Amino acid sequence: MQFANRTSLNNAAAVSIRRLQAKLVQCGKPFYLLMALAVMALLPLTAMAELPVPSHITPPPGEHEGEHVPQPIEFPHDRHVKDMKINCMYCHTYARRSKVAGIPPTSKCMGCHKVIATDRPRIQKLTEYWEKGESPRWKKVHDVPDYVHFTHEKHIRKFVFDADFPVEDVQQVCGVCHGEVREMTVAEKKKPLNMGFCRRCHEANGGPGDCWKCHK
Amino acid sequence: MSFKNILENFSKYRRGAEEGGHHEYEHRWGMAIDLNLCIGCNACSTACYAENNLAVVGKDKFEKGQAMHWMRIERYWDDADAGRDFPEQGALFLPMLCQQCGAATCEPVCPVAATYHTPDGLNAQVYNRCIGSRYCNNNCPFRVRYFNFWSYYESSWPEPLNMQLNPDLSVRDKGVMEKCTFCVQRIRTAKDKAQRENRAIVDGEFQTACAQACPTGAIVFGDTMDPNSRVTKLWQEHEVERGPYTSKKPKQNAELRGYRIFEELNVDPSIMYLERVRETEV
Repeated sequence: MQFANRTSLNNAAAVSIRRLQAKLVQCGKPFYLLMALAVMALLPLTAMAELPVPSHITPPPGEHEGEHVPQPIEFPHDRHVKDMKINCMYCHTYARRSKVAGIPPTSKCMGCHKVIATDRPRIQKLTEYWEKGESPRWKKVHDVPDYVHFTHEKHIRKFVFDADFPVEDVQQVCGVCHGEVREMTVAEKKKPLNMGFCRRCHEANGGPGDCWKCHK
Repeated sequence: MSFKNILENFSKYRRGAEEGGHHEYEHRWGMAIDLNLCIGCNACSTACYAENNLAVVGKDKFEKGQAMHWMRIERYWDDADAGRDFPEQGALFLPMLCQQCGAATCEPVCPVAATYHTPDGLNAQVYNRCIGSRYCNNNCPFRVRYFNFWSYYESSWPEPLNMQLNPDLSVRDKGVMEKCTFCVQRIRTAKDKAQRENRAIVDGEFQTACAQACPTGAIVFGDTMDPNSRVTKLWQEHEVERGPYTSKKPKQNAELRGYRIFEELNVDPSIMYLERVRETEV
């Protein structure tokens, strides 16, 4: 899916370049300049690497086209992860401690957004919630059925802490199941997260194969 | 490991305990139930209902035999024909739950391998794999498997009672067989905790809901592979051993009260009962 996204981006870039080309031709500029421009325009796009998979994980194959889940506030993961380089576990703080990764309390958002970007409409909406003493009703995007026992804590321990994987790159580990969240605004389900997906990973990475390890 | 075991060793699996075992165990959870201490109060059964999201089916369905008490108290009378009236009749209570047999008869008959033997020595039931053929129930000598004939969401847990459901195990739907799991969610939690702290599970660190609720401490739960656990010591004390049935030894010592129900069927049950002793005639 990421691949398709990139192609469509490339297409969009190509279209805009063609328009530019048409304009420049009208101006009578030489063609090689256009080519150089085109290459320059495309370079950052091709250099945009896919999220690297840590060498100690064999990722299970499987893609999923998740539905867009409307959230009360359109939370931009890309802004926080890619631009601000905030660690996943700064907000999803329970991932390394418990079964669920956890949605941060509004107080955590306000810890920064009392002072940062207070003029933006989304932050103003958040502040409204905060002042009313309410939490935005975030919707769950990655959900496994009730009969599945899954713990984030065990997976993080195995693939990050026990593997001596640098914690600052933890999004690469998270990305095996959650996809490239740094390129999304609100999170979308990009991996199937079904039994086949889990089993393929457990087989490739030496996870348990006993039914009752995961089924409850 | 376990599912592979079914596929690879099916014929061995089917023949059971005579073949000398075909499982690689990490633990073998077991119990010792002292019938001398059991007062038939049903606290264990109630605790099981609360812990394991058991549906309360109601009187009419109960009478049809559709109750789903994973743990039940069976009641026997000392001498039914003696003509004595109720209080003096001499009731015997026997808490009956899944015996987690080492060579379980329910396992090899499942057409979809929804029930299988775990490396912990438990007879697992995977609810979402079960198709409800009920072969396992018909093959169980203890009658401790219960079939969900109805969906009980609304009738058994009307709002806000649904908030009390245990999130650590699923609420089963109709068409699925269910049974005692030795509170596998507690086992799982204890194992996770031990693994996190990089140690082995300590005996008595956790127990099943029924053992926890028993007011007289009649139920002792533990790992029968751990030589120092309370349950192993009780088994040894009463000279009850795991493995296939050999022959009924004549009782030498009246102090040895241990027995396993239907041992002679060679199902290798994991629960040892201690016989009730009465001092006088009732």
